[in-house]
Amino acid sequence: MRRQPWLLAVLLGAAGGVVFAAISTYDFVQHLDRQVHNLHCSFIPGVSHAGESGCQVAMMSPYSSVLRSAVWGGVPISLAAMSVFAFLVFYALDLLVTRRKDDPRATGFLALATVLPAATSLVMLVISLSKLGTTCKLCVCIYLASAVCLVGALGLWRSAVRGRRGEEPYARRPDHGAEPAFVGRAKSSSGARLVAVASGPATPMAFLVAAFVVGVAFVGAPVALYLALAPDHARFIGTCEGLPHPDDSYGVMLRVERGGAGGAPAIEVLDPLCPACRAFEQRLAASGLAGRIDRKAVLFPLDSTCNWMVTEATHPGACTVSEAVLCAGDKAPEVIAWAFAVQDRIRSETRADPAAAARIVKQRFPELAACVGSPEARSRLNKSLRWIVANNIRVLTPQLFIDKVKLCDEDVDLGLEYTLSNMLERHARGKLATVPLERPAPRPAASGGAK
Amino acid sequence: MIAIRFAIVAALLAVPTALTAAWIRSADTRLAEMSAAPAELAPVASVADVAYCSPDLKRILRRVLMSCGLVGGNAARGCQPVQARNVATMTGHDFNALFKPMKDRGGIVQFDQDKADLDAGDLTMVDKVFADQRGASWFFVVARASPEGSAEHNRELSKQRAEAVMTHLRQQFKDPDLDKEVGMLWLGEEYAQLETEFCAWNRSSSAACTADQLNRSAFVAWIDCQL
Repeated sequence: MRRQPWLLAVLLGAAGGVVFAAISTYDFVQHLDRQVHNLHCSFIPGVSHAGESGCQVAMMSPYSSVLRSAVWGGVPISLAAMSVFAFLVFYALDLLVTRRKDDPRATGFLALATVLPAATSLVMLVISLSKLGTTCKLCVCIYLASAVCLVGALGLWRSAVRGRRGEEPYARRPDHGAEPAFVGRAKSSSGARLVAVASGPATPMAFLVAAFVVGVAFVGAPVALYLALAPDHARFIGTCEGLPHPDDSYGVMLRVERGGAGGAPAIEVLDPLCPACRAFEQRLAASGLAGRIDRKAVLFPLDSTCNWMVTEATHPGACTVSEAVLCAGDKAPEVIAWAFAVQDRIRSETRADPAAAARIVKQRFPELAACVGSPEARSRLNKSLRWIVANNIRVLTPQLFIDKVKLCDEDVDLGLEYTLSNMLERHARGKLATVPLERPAPRPAASGGAK
Repeated sequence: MIAIRFAIVAALLAVPTALTAAWIRSADTRLAEMSAAPAELAPVASVADVAYCSPDLKRILRRVLMSCGLVGGNAARGCQPVQARNVATMTGHDFNALFKPMKDRGGIVQFDQDKADLDAGDLTMVDKVFADQRGASWFFVVARASPEGSAEHNRELSKQRAEAVMTHLRQQFKDPDLDKEVGMLWLGEEYAQLETEFCAWNRSSSAACTADQLNRSAFVAWIDCQL
């Protein structure tokens, strides 16, 4: 057998793609248990990474999966990627075994097939850089695998086209009529048949259609299986507490979003310097569901300067920025948006110099200078915290309540679209309420033997 | 050849399908286990309950607060000096000692002799102390009078001083919880006169501190105790 560097490149790229996409899919799927897990975020397959990373950001983003409103978390794109790479392995092996590798039509199909992961990789890379501001090592490995497949497939196709052109004069000789030339090195009858296919007539369209169907099956079967087996997370809706006193007797709620007609009333508990709140805001905006809720915010700065419920300043400067938000009145959403944008800087500078937050705020919003730090502002912020206490809110941010029912903390990232759209649907039907979690019945004790 | 093809397709198709099925089943099992076990949740927000809130202090606070109508559904507001002594069941010295841990959370608003008006310095102090509520549940206004004049007059004068502070708080902060969290006591000259050691506290007057001047006052402080 001749050496086939282009085909080998496709095979290696596709095999690598299967491995990296499988690891990425595993990372995604393990989160279906609603718990926190380390991710495998490395150029070396299998090496895990704890804490925040590009992989964490990418996986929790709305771009990591599709059909997010239909199934909790959606169907991971990496699952489709794994399937496509598996198909490419199959097709490349088929070309190798059947020697269609010299056929422009068959290799052209491979090149087209590799365009799918390559184009998807390009789109995802652009999204990573432009929307997420980070890249994920595991994703980069998949991008590289896609690129290797594409380059290999294009090289193979060009090689086949060149080879076919070289054969044409021989094939068109009058003594061969319309029949294709049998050019090859067959030593046996069966080998002769293969050679005839390789250098003979172009691969029939039926074969390519069959290959396409197989490719669709490669993607469709795992996706259908995923949809069928994915755990039911709807039973958790409404099981995560509610608001006993949602009325705004202290006048501390800030309108941050006016939903359209029939928008569900929502209260978000947030800290303007909390990274999770910023990420939640981005996810909510990307979900397309923000317009369906009539959202007010209650500030809950996790900063011991004003918040007695935390022992240290988790988000230094959050009290000052919260005062600025309260002082801003109708412009509160503008101050919150600004705080989300510059929160890293405020936190780091305030950690070094406690007066930094006030300085930064007053520099950006000089009209709020007299209010920030005043007894009235501090008292109002304190009332915001009193509202939190009165409603038995847990000490963490962000938290979203739809018509007094809490969106569970486990649903604020991967499961946001699924859970929130379900909650909104139930609210529209008047069926949204807090309910106790139905716990599975305890398993019966092992039998002590036959009676 | 077709059989080989099918075998390869089956083997390769099994990679994403079998792995996905196994991973989902594993996550589902963990989810069921998690649902069966009580979840570890973040603490619930609550009012402050600091170290100085000993059981003894809480017991006395509860008595005072109930007597003054702040807890227990009693509609009364403020306490007469005799009532304060009765509910506290302690000497004036011991009563004052209760408030000593609150030095950083309170201040002493000083009035002119035989006056119950708040000047600018007084207002600034009251605003500053009240705005710094943090997690405290109770705000005490304990007004007194110096011994000049009759006991009855001083009792009335100290009541006016306490009410002056309360009126200002009501106007300044428009706090719907004001009547549920501010406890007023007017002690006149009869009970728990402040000793000069309270001169070291945050005061609204920078004048020299004598016992008489110190007791022409309203003591204001947040108490960070849960009852």
